[in-house]
Amino acid sequence: MNTELNRESLLKAYRMMRTIREFEERVHTDFATGEIPGFVHLYAGEEASATGVCMHLSGNDYIASTHRGHGHCIAKGVDPAGMMAEIWGKETGTCKGKGGSMHIADLSKGMLGANGIVGGGGPLICGTALAAKLRGDKTVGVCFFGDGASNQGTILEAMNLATVWNLPAIFVAENNGYAETTSPNYSVACENIADRAAAFGMPGVIVDGFDFFAVYEAAGEAVKRAREGGGPTLIEVKVSRYYGHFEGDQQKYRAEGEVQKLRNEKDCLMQFRRHVTADGDISAAELDAIDAEVLAMIDDSVVRAKADPKPGPEELLTDVYVSY
Amino acid sequence: MNCLLPTDFDRHDDVIVGVIANPASGRDIRRLTAKASVFTAAEKANMVQRLLGPFGALGVDRVMIMPDSSGIAATVERSAQINRSRGESVWPLIEQVKMKSTGGVEDSQNAARIMRDAGARAIVVLGGDGTHRVIAKVVPELPMATLSTGTNNVFPDWREATVTGIATALHVTGRIDPSITLRRNKQLRVNLGEYTDIALVDVCVTRLTHVGARAVWDPDTIAELFVAFAEPDAIGLSSIAAMINPLTRDEPRGLCLRCGTEGRRVLAAIAPGVLETVVIDHCEIMQPGVRYAIRTERGSIALDGEREIEFHRGQVPRVTLELNGPPTLDVSSTLAAAARLGVMATPCAREMLR
Ligand SMILES: Cc1ncc(C[n+]2csc(CCOP(=O)(O)OP(=O)(O)O)c2C)c(N)n1
Ligand SMILES: [Mg+2]
Repeated sequence: MNTELNRESLLKAYRMMRTIREFEERVHTDFATGEIPGFVHLYAGEEASATGVCMHLSGNDYIASTHRGHGHCIAKGVDPAGMMAEIWGKETGTCKGKGGSMHIADLSKGMLGANGIVGGGGPLICGTALAAKLRGDKTVGVCFFGDGASNQGTILEAMNLATVWNLPAIFVAENNGYAETTSPNYSVACENIADRAAAFGMPGVIVDGFDFFAVYEAAGEAVKRAREGGGPTLIEVKVSRYYGHFEGDQQKYRAEGEVQKLRNEKDCLMQFRRHVTADGDISAAELDAIDAEVLAMIDDSVVRAKADPKPGPEELLTDVYVSY
Repeated sequence: MNCLLPTDFDRHDDVIVGVIANPASGRDIRRLTAKASVFTAAEKANMVQRLLGPFGALGVDRVMIMPDSSGIAATVERSAQINRSRGESVWPLIEQVKMKSTGGVEDSQNAARIMRDAGARAIVVLGGDGTHRVIAKVVPELPMATLSTGTNNVFPDWREATVTGIATALHVTGRIDPSITLRRNKQLRVNLGEYTDIALVDVCVTRLTHVGARAVWDPDTIAELFVAFAEPDAIGLSSIAAMINPLTRDEPRGLCLRCGTEGRRVLAAIAPGVLETVVIDHCEIMQPGVRYAIRTERGSIALDGEREIEFHRGQVPRVTLELNGPPTLDVSSTLAAAARLGVMATPCAREMLR
């Protein structure tokens, strides 16, 4: 596979990562005012993971996400303005304001949903991947899950099933070093989550989650393999989160300066910018322009989200169950 | 100590051996792009334990082992306790190095430094080319007994740990002369401005402008290749050079190859299970100490098969062959000498041979 991206793709990747970052930074600020209902878990810091994977997917491929799902949504093409309205609980939201941060789903984009059930995505992806296999349409399913979720029976069962049925599924373990407050060193019985792949008879690889290109290359190979009928892959993305487990988390369990050091030395956007501008393929001004556009778009989405109406009481019992 | 051979060697200090089993080795993208093998932590722990019988039997007093969170060191320690409580105290004393683990390559490097400072006479390294490279960088003069934990490697030995354990013990107890037990390796040094790094086998210049997922698996991306040695029966990038001009580990020369669209086409096993055609349009002998400039305008440099360095337009990295690379244990010649000298035989068994 040629892993060199053309200008257009590089700019697309940058815009995607910047959009996720800006979205999360903005939700972080706004949540502190107390106006946003519910609970939010922010994805800032992990942008290269969702982006590096989803750059290989089309609208017909499916992804299953987690409670930390905003990044996956944006990378899969869900409209950020709709997402912002959703988080604010407004009827213009992706799920008419009734889902909130942890349940944003957009089936039209192949986004099966953020998920309040830790480890809930594995079985869903086995389902879409089985459907893809039966249809023979060469689409794939990607299950994003955390280091905490990697210990859930659902994930382990899903990896087993995916191998048994040779499904076009990709399991992306986003190991951000914490499940709420617990380090995988205490809870995961092997050094790497990727080590578990061998037990299921699938390849398991580790990539640096701050390096977009590392994720992009590994995901590209895994997606290609799945589309060709080669079966599932486990990719462990070693990464970190910039904010607490949820907004409001005091993070007493983290070393002082841990996040600042990551922001200064490893940040995916910083690395990406340095990389693509080094040889003059893309100018800093072009990236600055994207930054400004994204910022304006997020600003606008917040203004609209605040102004939009909440769903009325008559909406209480609609959209609760989906009839098939 | 339950040494099974006469302990007539220098027992001035405790005989200490370090053991570093890299828990992360063998997890890169080659599991996906090639059929590279996967060594579990359990197998690495088994390999370490297979060293310990020979160590105890031949007079090693203490083994310092790198701690890890995948349970390799813990498993070994537990087995040692069981061993002791059964009264089978033929193993040396096992201790985990006191250090903070980060899960990164620094762990192996920190452990190696601590072992050297504690007086370890050799380190047994379980890992791939990369693990050996990072350790050689920080303790360049400490002999390494090399054990490959995967099918991807050229530098370390692919052999049974028990045998490596015997050879290591014969070396550290001084029963066989270092002129026989140790081999001085070559290494390749890469310089880019202030930056410098080494490779033990090959330096591959790729056209890929990013380090990315690190491995090199697409022959079309290879621009230049420098090798310290090239064995025809090796796996990986150095085998390309070997198919044009084989080079042993002892010859004081290296090889520099450039790829093109026209030239000699060679088929080589560039990764486990992957045979690819590479077109070489230039091949020259590298003399030691001479700096060879990289011709590629921009790209990345893989050290022993893993992209480590990105370079840009206007930068000219240089590669130098050095003859004073790390010393490693030569297991074959050590054991051949042991047989020749009757080291492992009692005097009357020696008589039988005569
Ligand atoms: C089945 C289930 N158990 C417990 C929880 C509570 N919970 C929410 S998030 C979380 C930690 C998840 O950690 P990880 O999978 O590493 O994801 P991260 O938060 O780091 O992104 C837990 C235990 C839950 N939501 N669902
Ligand atoms: Mg986590």
